[in-house]
Amino acid sequence: MYKLTGVNKIYRKGRRTVPAVRDLDLAIEDGEWLAVQGRTGHGKTTLLQILGGLDRPTSGIVEFDGQDLARLRENQVTRVRAVSIGFIFQTFNLVPTLSAAENVEAALIPLRAGLAERRRRVAAALESVGLGDRARHLPSELSGGQQQRVAIARALVKRPKVLLADEPTGNLDEGTRDEIIGLLAQLWHDLGLTLVLVTHDSSLARQAQRVGVMSKGRLTIRQDTRRTPEPST
Amino acid sequence: MFFVIYLLRELRRRMRQAVFISLGLAVGVGLVITVVAASAGVKKAQSAVLQGLYGVGTDVTVTGAAPGPPKTGSRPTSGSGQSLQVGPGGARICTNGKCENAAGQTIDNLISQYSAIGASSVAKVARLHDVAAAAGGLDLTDTQITIAKNFGQPNSPLPQPNSFSVDGVDLGRSSLGPLSSGTIASGHTFTAADADSDVAVVDSGYAKANKLKAGSVLTVDKVKFTVIGIVTQPQGSSQPDVYIPLARAQAIATDGPTGSLKNKVNTIYVTAASAADIAVVQKQIRTLLPADTVTTASSLASEVTGSLSSTAKLANDLGKWLSVLVLIAAFAVASLLMMAAVSRRVREFGTLKAIGWRSRRIVAQVMGESVAMGIVGAAVGVGLGFAGAELITKIAPKLSATVPTATGLHEQTAGGPGGPQSINPTINHTLQVPMHASVSPGVIVLAVVLAVAGGLLAGAFGSWRIGQLRPARALARVE
Repeated sequence: MYKLTGVNKIYRKGRRTVPAVRDLDLAIEDGEWLAVQGRTGHGKTTLLQILGGLDRPTSGIVEFDGQDLARLRENQVTRVRAVSIGFIFQTFNLVPTLSAAENVEAALIPLRAGLAERRRRVAAALESVGLGDRARHLPSELSGGQQQRVAIARALVKRPKVLLADEPTGNLDEGTRDEIIGLLAQLWHDLGLTLVLVTHDSSLARQAQRVGVMSKGRLTIRQDTRRTPEPST
Repeated sequence: MFFVIYLLRELRRRMRQAVFISLGLAVGVGLVITVVAASAGVKKAQSAVLQGLYGVGTDVTVTGAAPGPPKTGSRPTSGSGQSLQVGPGGARICTNGKCENAAGQTIDNLISQYSAIGASSVAKVARLHDVAAAAGGLDLTDTQITIAKNFGQPNSPLPQPNSFSVDGVDLGRSSLGPLSSGTIASGHTFTAADADSDVAVVDSGYAKANKLKAGSVLTVDKVKFTVIGIVTQPQGSSQPDVYIPLARAQAIATDGPTGSLKNKVNTIYVTAASAADIAVVQKQIRTLLPADTVTTASSLASEVTGSLSSTAKLANDLGKWLSVLVLIAAFAVASLLMMAAVSRRVREFGTLKAIGWRSRRIVAQVMGESVAMGIVGAAVGVGLGFAGAELITKIAPKLSATVPTATGLHEQTAGGPGGPQSINPTINHTLQVPMHASVSPGVIVLAVVLAVAGGLLAGAFGSWRIGQLRPARALARVE
């Protein structure tokens, strides 16, 4: 799925340079769940943005399904995001003027699906996150947990290959957090998604197959529960 | 569908700002419509005045040169021309070469306002390639001057002329010239049989002031004419007071104080083959009749003074610039507000980019919102424009147009150290012209285009930021 080779990301602030990601080599398999932990400002979100094509590395290769996101034109990267990558944000990032259904539908607009097709898929996506009866509600009329479910439905409605989540439980209370963790785990399991999740939440990270820790821009894998491939006979 | 829903919801969320932007554009557009409508009203008033001077369908007017002072020792060949001579011995009236003391007497002259043009010139003009029709006429003034008994003495006032205008109408081509723009209110107009009759058609205003009606008798240069019809001219036009057949006018009027006007005219009314030919016709006639004055409606307009011309200048200069300034201010405010709105929605647009929306789709969304505000602004602006035009029509006082007209008289004084001085007195006709500010469909289209352009401009400024937006940075924005 992903193969990152020698990836560096350096931010420039005036004359100062701040390395956010350093010499990163990382492979993420299809259907893998990778959790990335680390302290604030150590490059977790930058890594996620590079994986999602939202930002380009200063150097290195970000191979996604055989194409280097770092070298694709902006339109091509946008197309990859539209088709293959779903995002979940800490602050939900729903459009406040659109209803739950319309927020989910927004993710299908770039795919140019017909109205009937869009409505069918939106209804199914909301149903899958348990919000079938909240389709017409505005974000302001939903609880934090419900808003995050809408955001998850928006990420999944286009049937992406990868789900990138940045602190998805960061803004939720404990009970709601457990609901969302359960939902993500179930969706990952049922849909066979590749899930990369940035979180401070250890209980959430523990559910992942691999857990990496970002420190000063470098990623160290601390936990790997993936089944080791059977040696061929 | 999604585009429209999103657009309407966003406008509703930012209702106050949307209303402010739309109102700003509406005020700008409304002012443009009002100014253009007022300007159109002034132009209509101007054209009413000019039409009155010309008559309907006249594109070019040829007039003889302004008459010069009489030659010393010259004698009149015919007509009843009188001249007033002022010298050290006092004022003298000279009629057909015989002079007598003028003190206390009244001069009555029907005099051409311009030098004569041979009647054959009318035919020559009519034969020009781009001319559709030409008719000759005599533009005359019947002037009465009562000479004060002490006239000619030091510090004595100049005599003031009391006059009315007379138009000699070519009955064979009555569709051209000043009479053509009038409608007969009572009696009837001329027929071909009236060519050599002492009959007159009188302007309704003059008839009312002098208590004339069909059947009344009117004296023109000591000749009695029977009034056969009363004609009403368009409001605001400067029309002759009395119309008489051209042949009769040629017989009784004089060219200056002494010359005959037999087989002569002093005005030629010309219709060009098309509006585009007017300039060419003007040039051709200037070549054909180099000594005469060739005027078109636009050149004549410059001679009109009074509040009409001041208002025309005001509408053209101040009004135009005021509306341009208001429009620029409205565009600038709309653009700034749109930029501010986009700044507040950076994170929203970053999210849309993250889920796969192309920049141009987001730009289209923002442009759609600003164009919608422009359309609302246009609709309200058209309403404001109509209201403004209506208000101007209701409260604007009548405009006055002052048209200088030569009397055809010459007064020669002994003068001071510079020797004898020749004076060609003119009469200023002041007309009251109502102003009707009217909104044309073209102006409405202009208003809509302006408002939508304002919306597009505002949207373009806002959208420029979206194009520059990197999704990662947009998402990092804390709101």
